[in-house]
Amino acid sequence: MDVGRFIQYIASGTAYTVSVTLIALPLGLFLGLIFSLLYVYGGKVLTRIMSIYSTVMRGIPPIVLLFILYFMVSGNINLSPFWAGSISLGIVSSAYQMEIIRGALLSVSGAQMMAARAIGMSRMRAIKHIIIPQAFRMAICPWSNEAAIVIKDSSLVYALGVPEILRRAQLISASTQQPFLAFIVAGLIYFMLVFVTNRLLDGLDKRMRIPANP
Amino acid sequence: MKFRIVLALAIVLGVLLAGCQQAGEGSVLDKIQAANKVVVGTSADYPPYEYIDETGKMVGFDIELMEEIAKRMDVALDWQDMPFDSLIAAVQEGKIDMSISCFNYSEERDQLVDFSDPYYTSQDAFIVTDGFSGTFTVPEDAANFKVGVQSGTVQDEWLTAELVDAGLMSEANLSRYERVDQAALDLQVGRIDILMSDDVPAQAIVSQYDGLKIIYQGMLYTGPINIVLPDGAADLQAEVNRIIADLEAEGFIDALAVKYFSE
Amino acid sequence: MPNPILVVKDLTKKYGDNIIFHDINMTVNEGDTDVIIGPSGTGKSTLLRCINLLTKANSGQIWLDGEEITAPGYDEDEVRQHVGMVFQNFLLFNHLTALDNVKIGLSKVKKLKDDQAEAKAMQELDRVGLADRAHHYPGQLSGGQQQRVAIARALAMDPRIMLFDEPTSALDPELIGEVLEVMRKLALDGMTMLVVTHEMGFAREVSDRIIFLEKGSIVEEGPPEVLFYTPKFERTREFLWKITELYGKKESDS
Ligand SMILES: Nc1ncnc2c1ncn2[C@@H]1O[C@H](COP(=O)(O)OP(=O)(O)OP(=O)(O)O)[C@@H](O)[C@H]1O
Ligand SMILES: [Mg+2]
Repeated sequence: MDVGRFIQYIASGTAYTVSVTLIALPLGLFLGLIFSLLYVYGGKVLTRIMSIYSTVMRGIPPIVLLFILYFMVSGNINLSPFWAGSISLGIVSSAYQMEIIRGALLSVSGAQMMAARAIGMSRMRAIKHIIIPQAFRMAICPWSNEAAIVIKDSSLVYALGVPEILRRAQLISASTQQPFLAFIVAGLIYFMLVFVTNRLLDGLDKRMRIPANP
Repeated sequence: MKFRIVLALAIVLGVLLAGCQQAGEGSVLDKIQAANKVVVGTSADYPPYEYIDETGKMVGFDIELMEEIAKRMDVALDWQDMPFDSLIAAVQEGKIDMSISCFNYSEERDQLVDFSDPYYTSQDAFIVTDGFSGTFTVPEDAANFKVGVQSGTVQDEWLTAELVDAGLMSEANLSRYERVDQAALDLQVGRIDILMSDDVPAQAIVSQYDGLKIIYQGMLYTGPINIVLPDGAADLQAEVNRIIADLEAEGFIDALAVKYFSE
Repeated sequence: MPNPILVVKDLTKKYGDNIIFHDINMTVNEGDTDVIIGPSGTGKSTLLRCINLLTKANSGQIWLDGEEITAPGYDEDEVRQHVGMVFQNFLLFNHLTALDNVKIGLSKVKKLKDDQAEAKAMQELDRVGLADRAHHYPGQLSGGQQQRVAIARALAMDPRIMLFDEPTSALDPELIGEVLEVMRKLALDGMTMLVVTHEMGFAREVSDRIIFLEKGSIVEEGPPEVLFYTPKFERTREFLWKITELYGKKESDS
């Protein structure tokens, strides 16, 4: 058996894992940002709707949602499993990112909004120029957690038939009867991806930190 | 709170199912011929029926058979690997045109999808460690041990229906694995006493894992294996059955069995 | 002839059944500095917030420069550009440097070009003596410096009137002086100001009029020398001397 080849086969799933993550995370961020703004500033009805969205999306195991959303998203439009899976994961993640951003928005004191309004800013402008930039900084750390979770959850798209790292490890494990090797390789790749991502975001956090006297 | 979630879920599922009803318009065979391509699903983690070789290419008994069937249908073949548990749903929802993955007929499955005529008949096997010292003379003796099985397979169904539901065996003693190789490992280290699987993969397992042997072989539930087809796709079913009959008559299938199943 | 910049008529504010103040009438003339005093919880902050429409009054009217800003449909964001507000706890935008704090209203609200906004912001910072701190973040400034930046931020919008809500009461005693100095200079430059404060030294020296608010209405108002020495009501004098002593002590303690 050619171990090198098998490792290479598993590693070539990394492209899928990274692509799925690179679609799901920004999509989740985009939706999460909009939803969290609706939640915090949208008035009673929207707050209610967003709260239900959040509860439902976070209350169901991601794999179940993935299945439901896969068949829903690509019910009539012919989406490939890759796109359906990525979009589904993005939608799942949007609920978590919405909560992260909502928490960050709420942690910017309401007085900042008042001060912005006091110089004649509209609500929208104050949210854009005053609240979001401050919330963004507070969100980086928890967001880094969510990024790690999405990287790992991206393996769930294997259930739709996307040949990412985990599915390849399973196939190698079945074909070589060497599960340890296969899964250790997969685990190491995931670890590296999460590690690098977290370091990058740590760096961003440090760079964005607002200077203050000790 | 709980009720609200259930309600929302029900709505989502309702939308989903409503969406799916519209999917099955026009014959699947027409669609395949129009596209000049058949999309076939398999779970390539079940040697020697379907697995990947060192180049990452799918090979195996089912794979080679399907390639011949597609050739005779005069269409290109597009493989779609996915976990075994997803295959039936994928056929049902039209994500794939059919699936070949060592499927046995069962009534439950027949309510969701259709089956081709059987293309091969396999047996069930019980695997134990060389040191196994329990009494095992009839299959039902499995009820007295910790048993492992691949989840969703017909062996799982047999154990559940004949032993667990019949009250012979406690649910706690039955471990369901996503893949059969996981179960083989647990058998080796003693987390389970017996592994039940299809006979062909069982042969592969005992030859590749040290200290394992087959203690019992027989046709309990497995028996014939078939290709899974969309519900109601009569013309496709007829076409596939015709080709299977030809291949059987020509000795193609027997030759394949010799190639993959005799070690 | 005095020119009224701010006119408040019969203004009433309730939170639920709780009447914060009722039927407030007052006029602030151009170039005047009027000081509001009163016990804690009488609604001084609420009154200022009602005047620049950050809070809606329940009834009554407000005119700014002869235009009724409480009229239905009036553009509130527009009003606030012309009414500067300085808060007790500064409320600088934490993520922006001193310069950007002053600049942001100019570039995002007044839509000035970047170089114009920057020049104007720098000029305002210079006015409060902080040109050398332009690139410091709020967290790197003392409380007194932060409050001066906040004043510059409000001034940058060229307001018709400046509202101050206890601008020095969150400051350490040794930092109060620099802020009062800036305000004194502003008053001398002819800025129209309405100031809630307990700094009686400032009130006596700078203000044209003191308004004594208690339990939701104006008890008495008049020039400082009248209110301090010959008030109509005994409790006005009592309150004035009480806070003079209280805050005077605090200042000399340090
Ligand atoms: N948003 C609100 N909802 C309900 N009650 C409020 C609200 N804001 C203020 N109040 C109440 O209105 C009253 C007046 O508050 P305000 O802050 O205007 O008083 P103040 O005179 O500025 O007092 P201080 O000297 O302590 O600053 C207080 O009793 C306060 O509890
Ligand atoms: Mg107050």
